[in-house]
Amino acid sequence: MSSSDSENELSNTPPNIIQLAANTTRNLLPEKSRERWIKSLSKHKTGDFRSISNRMLQLFWFGKKTISNSLSIYIKTNTGSTLSVDLDPNWYIKNVKEHIAPKLGLHPEEMKIIFAGKELSDSIMLADCDLGQQSVLHAVKIKKREKLPSQSNNSLIEEVEEEQGSKPLCEILSDLDFSTTESENSLNKSVSDTDEKERSKVHFYVFCPTCKSLKNGKLRVRCNFCKSGAFTVHSDPQNWTDVLEVKRITGQCENIPELCADNIPELCADILDNREPTFAEFYFKCSEHRSLGEDDAAVPLYLIRPNSKDIPCLACGDVSDPVFVFPCPDGHVTCLDCFRQYCSTRLRDRQFWHHPDFGYTLGCPASCKDSFITEIHHFRLLTPAQYDQYQRFATEEYVLQSGGVLCPQPGCGMGILADPDCNRITCINGCGFVFCRLCLQGYHIGDCETPETTNTDGDCSYNVDPTRAAEARWDEASRVTIKVISKPCPKCRTPTERDGGCMHMVCTRKGCEFHWCWVCQTPWTRECMGNHWFG
Amino acid sequence: MAATRRLQKELGDIRNSGLKSFRDIHVDEANILTWQGLIVPDNPPYNKGAFKIEINFPAEYPFKPPKISFKTKIYHPNIDEKGQVCLPIISAENWKPATKTDQVIQALVALVNEPEPEHPLRADLAEEYLKDRKKFSKNAEEYTKKHSEKRPAD
Repeated sequence: MSSSDSENELSNTPPNIIQLAANTTRNLLPEKSRERWIKSLSKHKTGDFRSISNRMLQLFWFGKKTISNSLSIYIKTNTGSTLSVDLDPNWYIKNVKEHIAPKLGLHPEEMKIIFAGKELSDSIMLADCDLGQQSVLHAVKIKKREKLPSQSNNSLIEEVEEEQGSKPLCEILSDLDFSTTESENSLNKSVSDTDEKERSKVHFYVFCPTCKSLKNGKLRVRCNFCKSGAFTVHSDPQNWTDVLEVKRITGQCENIPELCADNIPELCADILDNREPTFAEFYFKCSEHRSLGEDDAAVPLYLIRPNSKDIPCLACGDVSDPVFVFPCPDGHVTCLDCFRQYCSTRLRDRQFWHHPDFGYTLGCPASCKDSFITEIHHFRLLTPAQYDQYQRFATEEYVLQSGGVLCPQPGCGMGILADPDCNRITCINGCGFVFCRLCLQGYHIGDCETPETTNTDGDCSYNVDPTRAAEARWDEASRVTIKVISKPCPKCRTPTERDGGCMHMVCTRKGCEFHWCWVCQTPWTRECMGNHWFG
Repeated sequence: MAATRRLQKELGDIRNSGLKSFRDIHVDEANILTWQGLIVPDNPPYNKGAFKIEINFPAEYPFKPPKISFKTKIYHPNIDEKGQVCLPIISAENWKPATKTDQVIQALVALVNEPEPEHPLRADLAEEYLKDRKKFSKNAEEYTKKHSEKRPAD
């Protein structure tokens, strides 16, 4: 607080005077009298003396500093050059143009500033553009606008030109537009028109791979063809579908043809000759760390939304913000805590579903139809350990559903996709264990479940009692326990423990859900129900 | 923890609603995951007494269903000697996180009032209930008088 206060205070005084004074005192006065001198200089000010003197010292040690709270921004031109500048967030775009135009050899009037798919108008303040440190602005030389030949209209046109550009995208979009995925906001529109003032600025949430957590996100736009950010959209995205799906919004790429042609020349010609429109590609950045360049993207977690309607959580009943909105027709809402708990509970019970298109995922907790989470990065809300488990289970489920097997060696668990006709499986890329597909014991010839025998071939130096040796095996205890208390599901072989209740078993593995009889270890029948339902 | 917050809310709602068929709710301050209360049925032969039950909520509640057990002995086809009860609304397959405890209690009270002999836990009682209702009622009434708790005054 105090340092920024003093900065503001100092900026009231022209910096060059203070600097001059400070330089003079450094040269002429010894330490003590210099302090006294500074004290007298700042006597009329009410601020804390120490912070001011610190600031003064900083001034002569760190040389000239012109802008307080400056934003360090890269300016990219469509000719391929990049300029690093420090800008004041309180500047208008007009000031920015005046500042950078000379460095690019241009007049301020003949350039436009493009940011996040919009040409910014002169009256926009930088602070309103959701720029971060080291964000990139695109400066483009205006191609000659077509002028009408008649002189009399000229002044009018110039006025129109003054109106060129618009507000930044973050100021235009509102949360209301993004409360739905599909374009059904004819209703929303009428609402938003009546209380235009109430419209809140749009909020996006992302999983940031750099911060490794849920962060606020910023929407950015680039050309879907050459990936250049010097791109303006023809229309604003109206909902999530416009943002997430490709080729929905067309736009104008300002990249110069030669740079563009470097990429894919044959397609480029079509685009340049306007035979093929250019489309906007929307992407997201984390707004909470310093930008690491244009490729520093983050995954949008679009099911996380601001709770603008104050919907209570389906599970705990609390109203919190932001919330998780499930993609079911009813759009059921949970708070983020309950979403995490839902996922971890389901994960522990292996109740995730392996969907052929989306991967290992979950549906709405109210078991709505067609409610699968299609962007599995949402599971990044789990703790890193849980997410590791999620990935392991997902891989295992994929292997099992593809007809593969998992290596039974403790600590290995490698997934193996082997010839379905062959029962001799070798853990090729894992531990090298060779085992039987049917009983998951070491490979053997003949029937499974032969009593365990120890190696009696002469290469063992000591004669060890076979039962002792069997008992002394690492992990044997848990293996024995599982064998004793569990029976495998007759369909998918998942070891199953019966914890009270009747003999009618339903396999708990998601996707198997086989009904079987604990006594017969066969599919559940009416005979089982009649003879030994309750044992 | 989601379970604690939700259960506090549900407990408050149930206490305020003043259910006639579920009274004397006791919850240990330190452990809101265990509730005890008294089921007070309206239908004969169980309307001569009241039955103590315990509801146990898992830490994963409401993403896992609560478990209910009878602490008072009851002569009922759907409740076994250990006090276990088979209530479809709280089975793992049917459970929905949005289901509230008062719905569960009302389903339980309905089951006590109207036994479902088609899905019995005690096959002997179910058979008696279907084949000789009079005998069943007599036995159940005697059993209730002998074992059940006193009904609350009002």
